[in-house]
Amino acid sequence: MNALRWWWGLVLAFALLVVMRVFLPLPFANEVVIFSIYTIGCNFLLGRVGFISFGQPAYLAVGAYAAGFYFTYFGANPYIGIVIGIVVGFIVALIVGPFFVRLRSDYFALVNLALAVIIYFLMQKVLAPITNGDNGLWYLTNLEPTPVLDLTHPSQFFIFALLVGFATWAFYKYLDDSIYGACCLGAKINEDKLTFLGYDNFRIRLTAFVIANTTTALAGALYAVYLGFVSPEITSPTRAVDPVVVTILGGVGTLYGPIVGAIAYTGMKDVLSQILVNWELMIGFLLVFIMLAGEKGIWGTLEPRLKKLFFRKAASETAGGSKARTA
Amino acid sequence: MSANGDILTVNQLNVAYGEAKVLFDVDVHVRPNEIVACVGRNGAGKTTLLKSIAGFLKPASGAIMTGSTSLVGLTAFVIAGMGIKYVPQDKRVFSDLTVRENLELGSYASGDYDWDKVTTYFPKLKQLMDRKAGFLSGGERQMLMIGRAILGGPKLLLVDEPTEGLAPSIVSHLKDVFVELAKKSALVIVEQNLPLVCAIADRVYALNEGRIMAELIGREAIRPEACEKYL
Amino acid sequence: MIDLSLLPSGIIFGLSLGGIFFLTTVGLSLCFGLMRVISLDQMLYYALGGYMTYTISVLTGNLWFGLVVGVVVGAVAGLAVERVVFLRIYARDITFSMITSFGVLIGGVGVIKYFWGLVPRPVTEPITVQVNLLGTYIPVYRLIIIAIALGVYGGIWLFLNRTIVGKAIRAGIENVEHVEGLGINVYRLFSITFMIAGGLSALAGGLNAPLIMVDPQMGLEVMAFAFMIVIIGGLGSIKGTLVSSFLVGQVVSLGSLFYAPLAQMAPFAIMVLILLLKPTGLYGSPLLKR
Repeated sequence: MNALRWWWGLVLAFALLVVMRVFLPLPFANEVVIFSIYTIGCNFLLGRVGFISFGQPAYLAVGAYAAGFYFTYFGANPYIGIVIGIVVGFIVALIVGPFFVRLRSDYFALVNLALAVIIYFLMQKVLAPITNGDNGLWYLTNLEPTPVLDLTHPSQFFIFALLVGFATWAFYKYLDDSIYGACCLGAKINEDKLTFLGYDNFRIRLTAFVIANTTTALAGALYAVYLGFVSPEITSPTRAVDPVVVTILGGVGTLYGPIVGAIAYTGMKDVLSQILVNWELMIGFLLVFIMLAGEKGIWGTLEPRLKKLFFRKAASETAGGSKARTA
Repeated sequence: MSANGDILTVNQLNVAYGEAKVLFDVDVHVRPNEIVACVGRNGAGKTTLLKSIAGFLKPASGAIMTGSTSLVGLTAFVIAGMGIKYVPQDKRVFSDLTVRENLELGSYASGDYDWDKVTTYFPKLKQLMDRKAGFLSGGERQMLMIGRAILGGPKLLLVDEPTEGLAPSIVSHLKDVFVELAKKSALVIVEQNLPLVCAIADRVYALNEGRIMAELIGREAIRPEACEKYL
Repeated sequence: MIDLSLLPSGIIFGLSLGGIFFLTTVGLSLCFGLMRVISLDQMLYYALGGYMTYTISVLTGNLWFGLVVGVVVGAVAGLAVERVVFLRIYARDITFSMITSFGVLIGGVGVIKYFWGLVPRPVTEPITVQVNLLGTYIPVYRLIIIAIALGVYGGIWLFLNRTIVGKAIRAGIENVEHVEGLGINVYRLFSITFMIAGGLSALAGGLNAPLIMVDPQMGLEVMAFAFMIVIIGGLGSIKGTLVSSFLVGQVVSLGSLFYAPLAQMAPFAIMVLILLLKPTGLYGSPLLKR
């Protein structure tokens, strides 16, 4: 029964994504799933550890380019490419992490953005001989069809992305419920007290940083496989806004916020950019509005109401299901 | 209310930091020219009381009145502009500014450029005018903080732990200054130094865990033995 | 490998770049010092200044007049955003102001696109005269930028040290609660600081407009450099901002003499190095909150 409760919300969330696939075009569904995975790292850092990163595209690019290099120069198996993306993302996060997590949260945000800029220039100019500069690496036709789930096929890629997403969420839910999640929250609220309790603040932050950015690199590798090319555009500083907006839009520190945010953001981008040319205007004011209205975001506002609604109907089932805590 | 002759009336004041409640139904009265002392252990809520009066903390409920004007909801600088000045405990003067500049700011805020009263109470500041306040001793800082607060002739001074960590000679100097100041305005002093309290206070409130445990009025009632049990 | 005859012009180029950087970031630094907010919307006033300079100089043919209008518009826009947005978030922590002002910046880019369109616009350089300095020809306009930047630094110094409002701001940078306790209307200080910051950012954008083309993304493009400069100099320190602006300007300029792509990255490498040695920047103070 306990296990059932635990899984309930996750299964429901991803069942809804499957349903969405039926009604909405495939590229949209794919974009939403990858985008959610991209954002959950940023959400975790901000909501759990209190670190805001304007440099998430840096880690996205690390994953994407790692996979991209593999596809261009070494091999063609999408699965191996994704694994390479994750591993390289993990290594990079482990290298820069110890320096970054020592910093104050404001400096942290700035330094991450700087890292994104460094990687941008690295890919665009310095490493141009192997990255083709602004043109990027194109290898769509090189990718080898894989047995069982053929990742070169968008509809089968969606199933794979959904499975990866499910695993990611299960992992983050596990983290949230564990003592480690509580420690992260403690580090955010009062690091001194946490130190008195005998926890090593630095290690908690470093772990959170590595986990979050490895997830981001995973999203980058997924993009690399799905799109069939990588270009420096992926880490352009002007795109640094995306994960932050989605995090805020969905609801900071909520488990399902990234999914809700990604749906809303991608949806708005698709629909509104056809009606309105002025996409920035919308998103900018939306961001300010959400912040001034109490920074809860869509899911942060909806969740307590849904909980109330469900509690009346079936208290026992939903208790575990929508237990995702708000920060 | 002004009807009872109070310069400050605090009625049923409740203050909380987030979830943690710090003051419970606190009543305080200050009459003109009175020196009121708040005594109590650390964490009893003395500083919270002063900060709430001065407008730095928002009360959860209750009334803070001067005359017939309510202070609740006013910003700190408006309250200071009404002549209710808070002298914080931390003895942090603007260390990057000179003593003169520190006083200039007091004058700028109150429109009172007559520094004679400051230098009469604290002659020592005269020689220190061009020194950066960061290089002053603890006693000199306290003098400067009180000095810049009395510009503009406040009607009520809220002084938080003025003698903490200061040399006895400076403490007795401050004692004389407080008695002098009380001739023109009222004072609320948070103080742990019982001999000082008993020497100058006209009224003592003993706080414990956010509640007023006792109110002692008059010289006969205010004896060290009477206060001691609340510390 | 490096042509030494290019060195003087490279240094002047770096100084003028540093001047632009200083004007862009000094507002960011002041706002952090006094209000403990990170005001990314400064980059919007930078772009606004550029566009006002463009429009006015096209209409009247006079760039200097455009600059003045840009400064006024930047200051007013800064004041408006402060009144509407920042006033509500002073009590919140620093990441909050960062996200919110980022929203303002993005929204503002949308506003610029609405009025001026997406196409980059060229602005004519007002002075094309060059002077001979140590055998190389230096554009006078760049020398003027350096002079203006140094003049602004001097002006800010005088303002902070010689006027009572400036002294109150300096006091507020140390402890804003005590300034309020004296009875000084700190919210007016905040508004004044925002107006100064907005005006200076707009001045930077206007001065830079003839050297680059104005385009809607220009604020976002300079943002990474602005970040880096305040980090190297230390958030909240005016002197640190000046030093690191010129440092970064020189690194970019001289670096491009060696190897062009590296010039864009070298400053970031320096930043990482400085942060490793001193996590609060060259002149930054270790305090986190007021």
